[in-house]
Amino acid sequence: MSGSFAALNSATTALWAQRRALDVAGQNIANVNTDGYSRQRADMQAIGGSAVPAFYSTGDGVGGGVSVAQVTRIRDVFLEGRGHTEHANYARLSTEAGALEQVETAFREPGEYGIQSLLADVWDGWEAVTNGPDTDATRAQVLQQMEALVGGLHFASASLDAQWNQTRENLTVLVDDVNAAAASVADLNQAIQRGNQTSLPVNALVDQRDLLVMQLADQVGATVRQGKDGMVDVIVGGVTLVGGTSATKLAVDGSLDMAGAGASAVRVVTAVGGHTVRPDGTAAGQLTAMNGIFPSYQSDLDALAADFAAAVNDVHTTGAYDKNGDPGVAVFESAGGGPITASSIRLAFDDPALLAASGLAGGANTDSSKADEIAQLRNKAGGPDATYRKLVVQLGVEASVANRGVQIQQVITTQVDASRESIAGVNLDEEMTNMLSYQHAYSAAGRLVSTIDEMLDVLINRTGRVGL
Amino acid sequence: MRITQRAVTLTSLQGLNRNLESLGKLQQQLTSGKAISRPSDSPTGTNTAMQTRTEQASVAQQARNVTDAKGWLEQGSSTLLEMMDVVKRVRDLTLQGINATNSPASQQALAVEVESLRDGLLSMANTKVMGRPLFGGVTAGDAAYDAVGNYVGDNRAEVLRRVSDSELLRVDLTGPEAFGTGAGDLFAVVGRIAGDLTTDGAALEGDLAALDALFEKMTGAVADIGARGARLEQAEQINADRQLTLRAQLGKAEDIDLPKTIMDVQMRQMGYEAALAATAKSISPTLLDYLR
Repeated sequence: MSGSFAALNSATTALWAQRRALDVAGQNIANVNTDGYSRQRADMQAIGGSAVPAFYSTGDGVGGGVSVAQVTRIRDVFLEGRGHTEHANYARLSTEAGALEQVETAFREPGEYGIQSLLADVWDGWEAVTNGPDTDATRAQVLQQMEALVGGLHFASASLDAQWNQTRENLTVLVDDVNAAAASVADLNQAIQRGNQTSLPVNALVDQRDLLVMQLADQVGATVRQGKDGMVDVIVGGVTLVGGTSATKLAVDGSLDMAGAGASAVRVVTAVGGHTVRPDGTAAGQLTAMNGIFPSYQSDLDALAADFAAAVNDVHTTGAYDKNGDPGVAVFESAGGGPITASSIRLAFDDPALLAASGLAGGANTDSSKADEIAQLRNKAGGPDATYRKLVVQLGVEASVANRGVQIQQVITTQVDASRESIAGVNLDEEMTNMLSYQHAYSAAGRLVSTIDEMLDVLINRTGRVGL
Repeated sequence: MRITQRAVTLTSLQGLNRNLESLGKLQQQLTSGKAISRPSDSPTGTNTAMQTRTEQASVAQQARNVTDAKGWLEQGSSTLLEMMDVVKRVRDLTLQGINATNSPASQQALAVEVESLRDGLLSMANTKVMGRPLFGGVTAGDAAYDAVGNYVGDNRAEVLRRVSDSELLRVDLTGPEAFGTGAGDLFAVVGRIAGDLTTDGAALEGDLAALDALFEKMTGAVADIGARGARLEQAEQINADRQLTLRAQLGKAEDIDLPKTIMDVQMRQMGYEAALAATAKSISPTLLDYLR
């Protein structure tokens, strides 16, 4: 049998509980636009009678009111996992597409300022020499045009180099960022563990941590394994980046320049032990760019320079004679003495008279059959023009495939984000409705207090006054 | 399914962004006039555009070669015609010399004139085109004949101009081809006539026959140059046609279809505005608007 004031007590618990629920709704509304916020729900529980029946300890079966058992944070772990994967994919694809776009910029095609038009100028120059092998002006002009082409090759090669170096710096910064984020995740894990062990609210901390984990998914393709006491382990490419309250550091290893990337590929390793980590996300895109995309186009460009130099040198040194009637020497050579590449190619001489236009031996003459032969390299099947065209078209195909991939992945990622947001996000209509019901419950509980007050008033002040 | 304001915002934003992006792309095409600004826009189009540009460059160069070749051929034919006029005059003088009624003094006068005509012929034979002796072949020197009339040109190779991808046209005519060789060449014969006029009147008949044969040879040379000129004209016509075709081809590969692009922009803009309006309607209302 409950006491006279039991009902008052349960009305008070109701007032408290509804207030608490209103607070939670207020918090949800306040954070409707907060990144990474998960909506919360006040879980109410009826306070029952004594659970174990015993002598002198019987309940009346009505119960003792209500309490907010806990404030639950609503989030779908599986959708979050999917989100991590899709975000990592998107980051990787867009980084790769970005790298290809940079290569496209380096080649400046199609248009009037690319290597192709420089090539065309060189061939035109040689035809001008064919028409006037005796004039120094045309000879000097073709030298200038070949110089311009060499400059164009140097420029394209240097901009690929610069992009490679930029990407490697970016990766180093990214890995630093990842290390900082991983340390924060470990710290938060510890705070969450302590909070959970002492039953303190940790929802805000968990939100903060999940936001960091999503950032890690973007950067290195992190995935998550749930641990005890609300902690999570963060795993990158099979290596545990964060295990409970401790974090591993990553580092960048491998070649420091593009030339060495073939022999010693750039890779992400653990700072201690130097084990190779296979990341996803932005880091994976950057690794592909540095170990695949940039070096492959660089070597294509080198091959183009070597082919061009070999084709011209070949004609120029076989049965060709310069303005003075001497046999022609090589036009192009390597600056370093090694094989000719896009960065090492240079003109072997700057005297216009040394250009061998004539195919007739025995003293100076104005024959120009060799100049014409060089000029006709422009139409040669498998010649420099055709090789270069093939290279640019291949680049175009690769870049357009990558762009399409990014677009598709973007749609998928946004859809997954929208699904995550649908579960974890705040719906204002819902919060308004909840507020209404909590408000009404609160008023009703208030009314209960005043009703009991009136009852007690009758009991205390009005009874026993019969006959007074 | 539960849906939240943020989820609606996310998907709306994505749609809007996509609309805006394609609008921006079309706008870029419209302002630049180019459908392809980087290879990934259309790899096959890029291939066509680059190939067409290569061909355009070589056709433009061939047009310059044709102009150059024209200069050579015109100079060659006009010089030869002028020289033939002079040869005719020499023939007339020789005929006068054959008539035995002349006094030695007038024979002497004829001889002097023929001698000076020979000098004229020699200087004409050394005519230059763009600094090179017209009849000198591929000589590096600046004359085809020396002062006494010996051929000093280099006729081991022909002077050729590339007038199309496949055709090399010869634009010169060497001295021996036009004027004969050695003791039988034009300058030797005319020199001999000048000598025979005063010393050996009987040899003049034979000289006249030799001169006529040389005249025939020069006529043949002029005809040869004329035939090459006709071929050149043809090549020029083909070249001009090809330039037009290539320009059209490049335009088709690289340039935008203006009416179509403008229409596309309009459509996109309409779509974008509709999306904006719809988004504005779907995002703004909440229950709050209806609670009093």
